[in-house]
Amino acid sequence: MQVSGNLLVWLLVIPFVVSLLAFWARTLGAGARRFLEAVHLIGITLLLVLTLWVIKLVLINGSLLALSGWFYADKLAAVFVLVIGLMGFLNGLYSIGYMRHDLVTGEVDRKGLSTYYGFFHLFLFTMIFTVLSNNIALMWVGVEATTLGSAFLVGLYGHKSSLEAAWKYVLICSVGVAFALYGTILVYSNSFSVVQNAHDSMLWTEIVKHARLLDPMVMKLAFVFILIGFGTKAGLFPMHAWLPDAHSEAPSPVSSLLSGVLLKCALFAIIRYYIVVGKAIGSAFPSTLLLIFGVLSIAFAAFFIFSQRDIKRMLAYSSVENVGIIATGLGLGGPLGIFAALFHAINHSIAKSLMFCTSGNILIKYGTRDLDVIKGMLKVAPFTAFLLGSGALAVAGSPPFNVFISELLTVTAGLNSGYLWLMILCLLFLLVVFAAFLRLIGEAVFGSPPENVTRGDVSFITILPIFLLFILMFGLGVYIPSPLSDLLKGAADIVLSGL
Amino acid sequence: MLWYALGSILVPAIGSLLVLLLPERHAKKVGQLFSFLAFVCGLLLLVGFAADRASFTRDLVTIGGISFYGVTIDALSVLVNFIVVFIGWLICTYSAGYMSPENREHPIKEGVPRFYAFMLLFIGSMAGVVFSSTLLGLLFFFEMTGLCSWGLIGFYGDQKSRKSALLAIVLTHAAALGLYVATAYVFVNTGSFSVNALNELTDTGKIIAFIGILIACWGKSAQFPFQSWLPEAMVAPTPVSAYLHAASMVKVGVYIFARTVLATGAVPQVIGLIGAIMAVVTMIYGFIMYFPQEDMKRLLAYSTITQLSYIFLAISISIYGSKMAFNGAVAHIFNHAFAKGLFFLVAGALAYTTGTRLLPMLKGILNKIPVVGLGFIAAAVAITGVPPFNGFFSKFMIFVGGFEIGKLYPLILVLIIVTILESVGSFIWFLKWLGASVLGAPSEPVAGASQVPFAISLVLAILMVMTLISQYIVLTLLS
Repeated sequence: MQVSGNLLVWLLVIPFVVSLLAFWARTLGAGARRFLEAVHLIGITLLLVLTLWVIKLVLINGSLLALSGWFYADKLAAVFVLVIGLMGFLNGLYSIGYMRHDLVTGEVDRKGLSTYYGFFHLFLFTMIFTVLSNNIALMWVGVEATTLGSAFLVGLYGHKSSLEAAWKYVLICSVGVAFALYGTILVYSNSFSVVQNAHDSMLWTEIVKHARLLDPMVMKLAFVFILIGFGTKAGLFPMHAWLPDAHSEAPSPVSSLLSGVLLKCALFAIIRYYIVVGKAIGSAFPSTLLLIFGVLSIAFAAFFIFSQRDIKRMLAYSSVENVGIIATGLGLGGPLGIFAALFHAINHSIAKSLMFCTSGNILIKYGTRDLDVIKGMLKVAPFTAFLLGSGALAVAGSPPFNVFISELLTVTAGLNSGYLWLMILCLLFLLVVFAAFLRLIGEAVFGSPPENVTRGDVSFITILPIFLLFILMFGLGVYIPSPLSDLLKGAADIVLSGL
Repeated sequence: MLWYALGSILVPAIGSLLVLLLPERHAKKVGQLFSFLAFVCGLLLLVGFAADRASFTRDLVTIGGISFYGVTIDALSVLVNFIVVFIGWLICTYSAGYMSPENREHPIKEGVPRFYAFMLLFIGSMAGVVFSSTLLGLLFFFEMTGLCSWGLIGFYGDQKSRKSALLAIVLTHAAALGLYVATAYVFVNTGSFSVNALNELTDTGKIIAFIGILIACWGKSAQFPFQSWLPEAMVAPTPVSAYLHAASMVKVGVYIFARTVLATGAVPQVIGLIGAIMAVVTMIYGFIMYFPQEDMKRLLAYSTITQLSYIFLAISISIYGSKMAFNGAVAHIFNHAFAKGLFFLVAGALAYTTGTRLLPMLKGILNKIPVVGLGFIAAAVAITGVPPFNGFFSKFMIFVGGFEIGKLYPLILVLIIVTILESVGSFIWFLKWLGASVLGAPSEPVAGASQVPFAISLVLAILMVMTLISQYIVLTLLS
């Protein structure tokens, strides 16, 4: 147990060390790019290997503890570690080609590249830190740190608009997360009065054990703060205001991490509290809140998706919608609802990463995110066009892709809980999203391209990661491998029963 | 048997991928080859089934003890699959001639691989719908066929076709939400996605599930109030209109309705009532819309809408207990596919050779291009139900079934009489265009018509034969 628990420490150490190396590389001069790419590639590969190893151990042992209980990985955390590791690897792979292009065109210089890779791994580190923290204060610190780690990536290009987006991001999320701090303190003070041990009462595993003894009124209040606080970070309506700017201004692989992974980490924090609060006061109260925020997010985002003319902003609003679906799934509850929500979290991160990376390729090709200019991709870059089309279909929730399955499961869970009309309403909102993305394909993929765009696909290295994402997206659309379904079922059990 | 069924699904899907990967010059050959292989699978299955009559259901994708997808082989699926792969192959052959720069209406210089990729994927998805033993499978492939249809309607890529494509997919997807809800509802109440699980529902449960199913089916089969996408979809290349929007995809709706009714022993009669009334409403609407149409393809689209209403009516009547009406519905799915497919391909051949499909400009077709003229005659009389053509047999079965039930339920009797009136009316209207367009001296566009490519003539000839004999295939298998 102890030996394998050390694996969690390695999972934290590796991105941190890679990050430091990347920052150090700015002193290297001409060889910096090669060094950075090599270190980066080793870093993401090790991360992926460790991730899969940790998941394997979690599946065998049930859970892992490290550093006298400060870090903890159960099946729930493993789901999110999987998302971070897998998406970190694929987006990291994509970053290499994308940042090379930015270097060639002078968007960033060598120091900028070092900053990029440094913060990229620091960002991964903070996200892993968040999901592995058993200590609720550290978990809060982790979420706050993700903001700081990624804000520099959002503002990387130093344009007026990207700096504004970064500033807005830091400001709104810090204020939001301050609410979560208040919630955290409430839970801590309450658990301290029950557990009577300053250290243990901060550990999530201990709090859950004593959840039934916690004060119902305080827990209710705490959950509201937690939901607003971490909900800001997760991009739930109406606290999502930072999200479209940050996601559209960041370099594409970072947009993809923000949207595909970071939002999930904030949701993870909410789920941890949802479990505690559910045990303390029953799940009716937290479920209803999640359901309200979830459905509102879907409803609101659906219409904003429809009206966007900037492809990355459109994708950003789609993230709000999808976080809404996950929150709805959690709110509907039951084994099916939780399973659907967690599965949707994985599916959305795959599909959305694919879309953001493809939008990166579009930026390379067309030099713009404006949908009035991006036309005729089929003639310009057929393979990218194919991937964009598939990704848009997936995000729209169409078979044969994975999002279709998890959305259908969510609807099924809704009917199971007796929300027939609410589900029909949600399906109608999803129809708006569907129309928006089909229109996107119609315009961007077909039609005739602008004159100044050179024909021919972008380089192999920027296509390969997207293609791997496509395989995942299609594979999970037609089959769910049993280790994954075991993991998800196990995680759903934890959400329902506590430990 | 199972492998033939899977072959019909997978062979075209693999072909679809190959068409995209291989160089453009091979696209037509690969498209024809794989559609032919799928046809062979379908034919062997038909022959094999006719010999041993062994119906069965086999689960294929099972996750956590729940069957996600399985295959059902029975007379219904074998017959419908046969039209899917047979006409699919004919269309792929016809398209080899049609999709060329020689085409006078729409010279086609690029996009042939994309066309065949969507077409082959569509054949596979259709076979997927037809064999599906689960509601989830039906839903999955329902949406897949919609996507292929969207890609093919928007094939030319101009503003108008993109808009029509979007309308088609949004409307059918909106209707599909009914099937989403029905699938989820059945799963929640029975713990199974299987079509047969409909049986385990209470009567109220069946009504809820069937209303969802009906909405989806109306959408896909362009029935009122979802009909508007079909006439707009006529901007697609004509082989697409012939295949997707006459012979096969629009049959997904009636097929799913038939499949679920067949699987559910006792369907509440109120569903039959709703289905029958809506069918006749659509029929009257479609009939009225015949008159202003001058574009041959739009006229045919409205004719498809009304013919699909016949099938809805027949299935709805079968809910009241008429086996004859159900068999009539299956026979009409089968027969109409050949007749209407032929009719559209005639329209396509006219557009290809003369550059127009406006009926008032087409005169004296028989005189100048006899093969097309004969096709026109065969298709028109088959659609309107003149013996010895196939349409007569299936319509007759539907009427007999209708009177059987009509004796007990006066409302059904009224509906069936309206249907007969529609049938007579459309006969007269088609006879009018037949006289004006086919016979007589050639008009200017027809007189200047170009040569009909061999591929097109061949397919027209095969389909003409089928409009004379398809009813015997169906009657043999249903007996």
